[in-house]
Amino acid sequence: MEYRFDDKHSFMEKLEEVFKSGVKPNDVKMVLPHPDHDIEHLVEEYTPASKLKFFTLAGGLTGCFTGFAFPSFTVLDWPLITGGKPLLSWPAWVVIAFELTILLGALASFTGMLFLSKLPRFSKMLSPDEYGNQYVLITDE
Amino acid sequence: MSSDAHANARTPEEVVQYKDKMERDIYAAISKPNWKFWAALALAVTCVGIGAVSWATQIIRGLGVTGLMNPVGWGVYITDFVFWVGIAHSGTLISAILYLFRAKFRSRFNRAAEAMTIFAVLTAGLFPLIHLGRVWLFYWLLPYPNQRYLWVNFRSPLVWDVFAVSTYLTVSAVFWYVGLIPDLAIARRIKSGIQKKIYGIASLGWTGTFKEWQHYNQLYKFLAALATPLVLSVHSVVSWDFAMAVVYGWHTTIFAPYFVAGAIFSGCAMVITLMVPIRNIFSLEEYITIDDFEKLAKLLMFTGLVVSYAYMIELALAYYSGNVYEQQQFEYRLFGDYAWAYWTMILCNVISPLTLFYRPARRSLMFLWILSIPINIGMWFERFNIIVISLAKDFDPYAFGYYTPSIVEWGITIGSFGWFFMYFLIFTKTLPVLSVTELKEEVEH
Repeated sequence: MEYRFDDKHSFMEKLEEVFKSGVKPNDVKMVLPHPDHDIEHLVEEYTPASKLKFFTLAGGLTGCFTGFAFPSFTVLDWPLITGGKPLLSWPAWVVIAFELTILLGALASFTGMLFLSKLPRFSKMLSPDEYGNQYVLITDE
Repeated sequence: MSSDAHANARTPEEVVQYKDKMERDIYAAISKPNWKFWAALALAVTCVGIGAVSWATQIIRGLGVTGLMNPVGWGVYITDFVFWVGIAHSGTLISAILYLFRAKFRSRFNRAAEAMTIFAVLTAGLFPLIHLGRVWLFYWLLPYPNQRYLWVNFRSPLVWDVFAVSTYLTVSAVFWYVGLIPDLAIARRIKSGIQKKIYGIASLGWTGTFKEWQHYNQLYKFLAALATPLVLSVHSVVSWDFAMAVVYGWHTTIFAPYFVAGAIFSGCAMVITLMVPIRNIFSLEEYITIDDFEKLAKLLMFTGLVVSYAYMIELALAYYSGNVYEQQQFEYRLFGDYAWAYWTMILCNVISPLTLFYRPARRSLMFLWILSIPINIGMWFERFNIIVISLAKDFDPYAFGYYTPSIVEWGITIGSFGWFFMYFLIFTKTLPVLSVTELKEEVEH
């Protein structure tokens, strides 16, 4: 069954009715013209929130660790005193670690979004189902 | 009248029609260009050509063709580098910081401002390479396992800069592309033929299911949260290229916030320089209102005041330091050989933004556009003053000097403007200049 709505509120009423009847959000397909926080809050009452944060955390921690570990490795690999500073110049590494935390955090988040949303989806690139600016609910009934 | 006000009084069918109209209006810009576009593009490409010839001259004949000398080893190239990195900053301010603060007017400017960020960083990134002289050895900047097991010096601010600027370029590009994905999917729906195919592939097969939006929203929030500290760090690191050196006029703790404020100030001016004509040419008056521009003008005014304050503090620190070298440096800035450059900067960056205290000035697009030009020029001179004047007169009178940029340096500077505007012009004709998805989302709230 395919339901189309022009209005977000009638769409949400239908959604709530379907979910209350015991159907899980994973068993239906919902297509929205743009993101909407009210709809997100409603659906997340019945399904867990996005797991994307774990990708961000993993990427950020990897970047932070690399930012300290890699410069340390290079100065120990070829010990050379420059500017009278100690070999392990932690304050200077902070800048590298900071930038790498953000770089890998952002790249891991982006990869995570693609992975969780199963993108790129080659079959839909050229011939997708188009619903314009309507809210659509497709159920198995 | 803002787009949200439009929606409140409408029936559901009318809201859908309004969203359809919004798509049509904004995507109408992606059409066959007229002769004016081609003329503008030809001008930009000509400037790029001038830059390319100048650079080629420098590569063939060596850095001697520039005006660089002892003691002024950093000149127009580094000025251009800092200028373009600064221009980039307001793009991220608008897209990330204003997103976290839920400032609604951002959605009118964020797409174009982010595009500006990427093109400005691409332009800025050329200058360290040009300044290297032997550009083919650029990879020596990167930490890679070479035959002699030598590594770059991670204590050097120049290496920090490589990390900061390349991270900035990558993260800005990802942020921009993520925002574009749903809009590319709309383009796939609206356009036909080969355009439909290209937009379809670029949209990655986005269909707008709830799951996609759920992860997308999370991603956008995280990217905004990561880009906010990033943008503050990038110009701080650029400022440390100077502040970490023991040169009077450079070696000061206020440099990081001073540079960040200046960057946002110049970037806002560039957003106005670009967005006023775009609004006019593509008839987007309905979506970008005078109120939105007034908010941008207030941001410009505020950052202008911060920059003015930094100029005063700089002088006050020199006076209060009791250090004769520091004091002579600032006396030289104000009254020395380069006084013309210093007072040009004061006129452009301190005096001219004060006109924005007058409300009708903030609401006149013509006035804002004209004002944005001297601010861009003034911010270029700010960097020129910091870099060149500090080097021209430091400790030893025997090493004092006067630097005059050569025609090659001016040629490359002109080329950098052509390079930036060339990308931006192509952007306006190939991608939606407003974030349609975000504007549609606002209609519902």
